[in-house]
Amino acid sequence: MSKKVIMLSVAVLFGMQAGLALAANPDTGPGCGLGKLAWSDYAHQKNIGPQVLMATTNGTFGSQTFGISTGTSGCTNDGKVMAEQKTTMFAQLNFENLSQEMAQGQGEHLASLATLMGVPAEHQAAFFALTQERYTSLVKTGEASPVAMVKAINDAIATHPVLAKVSTR
Amino acid sequence: MKSKPRVFLTRHLYIAVLLFILLLAPASRVDAGAPPENAYLVELIDKGLQAKLANEREWHLLLHYRNDLLGGHTSEQDDPGFFMSPDGKTDPQAELDATLKQFFSDELVGRSKQPAQCAFIARYTWLKQRLAFDETRLPSIACERFDRWYADFEAQSITLIFPSAFLNNPASMFGHTLLRVDQKGQTEQTRILAYTINYAADVPPDAGMAYPIRGIFGGYRGYFSTIPYYLKVQEYRDIENRDIWEYRLNFSEHQVRRFLMHAWELGNASFDYFFFKENCSYHLLALLDYADPTLHLTDEFLFWTVPADTVRLIASKPGLVSGIAYRPSRSNVIRRKRESLPSEEREIAHRLTKDVGELKSAALSRLEPMRQIFLLDLASDYLRYRIDTTDEPPPELKERNRAILAARSEIRLPSEEFRVEPFAKQPELGHNTSRVSVGAGWRNNSAFEEQTIRAGYHDLLDPEIGYTPNAQIEIASVTVRTYNRHNQTRLERATLANVVSLSPIDSVFHAPSWKINVGMNTIRFGSCQLCSNGVVNGGIGAAAESHWLKREVVFAFAEAEANYSHAYAEDHRVGGGGTVGLLADLTDRWKLMASGTYLRYALGDKSDDFRWFVGQRFTLLQNLALRLEYNHRDRDNDVLFSFQAFF
Repeated sequence: MSKKVIMLSVAVLFGMQAGLALAANPDTGPGCGLGKLAWSDYAHQKNIGPQVLMATTNGTFGSQTFGISTGTSGCTNDGKVMAEQKTTMFAQLNFENLSQEMAQGQGEHLASLATLMGVPAEHQAAFFALTQERYTSLVKTGEASPVAMVKAINDAIATHPVLAKVSTR
Repeated sequence: MKSKPRVFLTRHLYIAVLLFILLLAPASRVDAGAPPENAYLVELIDKGLQAKLANEREWHLLLHYRNDLLGGHTSEQDDPGFFMSPDGKTDPQAELDATLKQFFSDELVGRSKQPAQCAFIARYTWLKQRLAFDETRLPSIACERFDRWYADFEAQSITLIFPSAFLNNPASMFGHTLLRVDQKGQTEQTRILAYTINYAADVPPDAGMAYPIRGIFGGYRGYFSTIPYYLKVQEYRDIENRDIWEYRLNFSEHQVRRFLMHAWELGNASFDYFFFKENCSYHLLALLDYADPTLHLTDEFLFWTVPADTVRLIASKPGLVSGIAYRPSRSNVIRRKRESLPSEEREIAHRLTKDVGELKSAALSRLEPMRQIFLLDLASDYLRYRIDTTDEPPPELKERNRAILAARSEIRLPSEEFRVEPFAKQPELGHNTSRVSVGAGWRNNSAFEEQTIRAGYHDLLDPEIGYTPNAQIEIASVTVRTYNRHNQTRLERATLANVVSLSPIDSVFHAPSWKINVGMNTIRFGSCQLCSNGVVNGGIGAAAESHWLKREVVFAFAEAEANYSHAYAEDHRVGGGGTVGLLADLTDRWKLMASGTYLRYALGDKSDDFRWFVGQRFTLLQNLALRLEYNHRDRDNDVLFSFQAFF
């Protein structure tokens, strides 16, 4: 039952990535990890999501994507998410939780996103207020591409009187 | 004289040969295997032998050796790349010597394809320290991959994660355990960003019916991985709706480093996965044992490792657990939020999930903003629950959720934290897994005594603390009974598996209840007074919960049953019928269950059966309980009083 759900939601998630400009150069991509599956230039982009999450539900996801010290097939990240992709990957894989928490003006996924984006804990209330205020447009952007949503939030931080100064990234 | 030149010739030959040998001598010494560093290897191997390093617990933990019955050692690890010696799986000394030799080489070894010093960094660190490696004669190799991997954890401590049992997936019936590597500076809000160390079987997607069989007998390989905790939270809390318990372990910085070094080595390992013993919990315990060798966690498990038992064991070690956190499943958040509401507000929330028109209703808008927030958040939780648990969720569910969240975002206030009281207390407060009972009673005016032993795990009448409510899993139970009048001792009952899942239905949750039972019992039938009877029974039904007294669950099943016994004509009968029953908590310690069953057998021995059962349990201590049970079948009455201990 649940297997289908994840497959479905992720099929949507990754399917929407198809036309994205972030489809980075596979050579500099994140090795064999989930990041590679998400962003490298796959011929059948739509098939990737189901594969990844189908594997999650029966455990293979673990050993293939997040396997410890997996030195095979040109892997360089040993099961970790490459640093530069942490934020976008988090936004992508937690989009539903994030959009709920943006509307609610608080939550652990939102606080974690703020942390990844370099907003110190004592200023996160301002970050929460900002994402709540822009909820409708952010979610609309995010449904098309969570990566674009992260960019939109970044732009909003840059023009925010307080967050622009305190944000470390 | 004739012989002299011959002698002369011989002498010349002798000198020539000698010269030849002298000339070649240095080269042949190299061939004998003694360049400077190899001399050092010989020295190290000798030193290791003197110190009896291969017999040390540390080496056995690193290589996962277990003592054999005959005094030898066998590693539980099943990937040949994990060993440096071809005999490494069974010979700790040969493995130690081969490991030392491999440290001199930068050849890539193991599944992870690194030099041995890096692939087996915990072994290297330990041997380097114990044998005081001379850097000039055995230079260390830089392990950038490990350093990067290690730094990325920003590790500060380790947390044991226990997602509770999930009956609707056979692999999760007993719960699961994994470990989380907590980051420096992590807060309650950001702990989902930490990585986990997870051990799971690699099961092909189309495993189907082969899964349980191969899973039990080691037909799959298990691997370690570092899945981000947020993905695990989604899987357990949001999709499978399982409560999660988090136990923070009191490890020093040094122990955390040991833990991660060995976890890195296990990237080269794979183990045959045995569902009952060498499962997720067992191998994680082995990892914790390496982090702190004084713990001796794996030594406590001989036949099976039930995840809840490992939690109980860890919680029982003095000072090991520094804090416990509870993460409720989404379905339990919804239940507790609903419970907290007056009925008119519950109605508003319910209408919101059905029709977004309710957003504009006066009933909602005249409430205080904080009340509106609470109802909107509950409605969104419920819609997300439906979306995540439905096979193909209709798109309008998603649209409704978006509309509710959009309205919610218009109220520019953060939601208040809602504390969820767990329905099932944490597992370490529950009874132990196995149970032994002694009892006495009467059957049709014949007194008897009986003894029962049950391997696992929990039945509907057992003390519920720490267990998923309304769920029963009985595995491998045997009862021997002595009838005084007949002076007969016989196998009275045996259960292979008896599983019942009751899911109370309300306006929000609609999962069916189900049950399955495979075993044997003793019947009185026709002319046979005591006859063995094989039983296979399965049913599907519904349950509802009420709170008239304290907490009651009523249930009804439609079911099918097949019996096999010499008491029947044609030795068997197959039929169908139904059961209704009640399960009631009378006090915290006292529980009652009553059920009635009618079955009509249309195949084999055409007959019918009318059964009653009334049972009560009284809890004495966490692991001690009393039972009084009455069983009625056609002209067959059985009363049993028993004393039960869990161990």
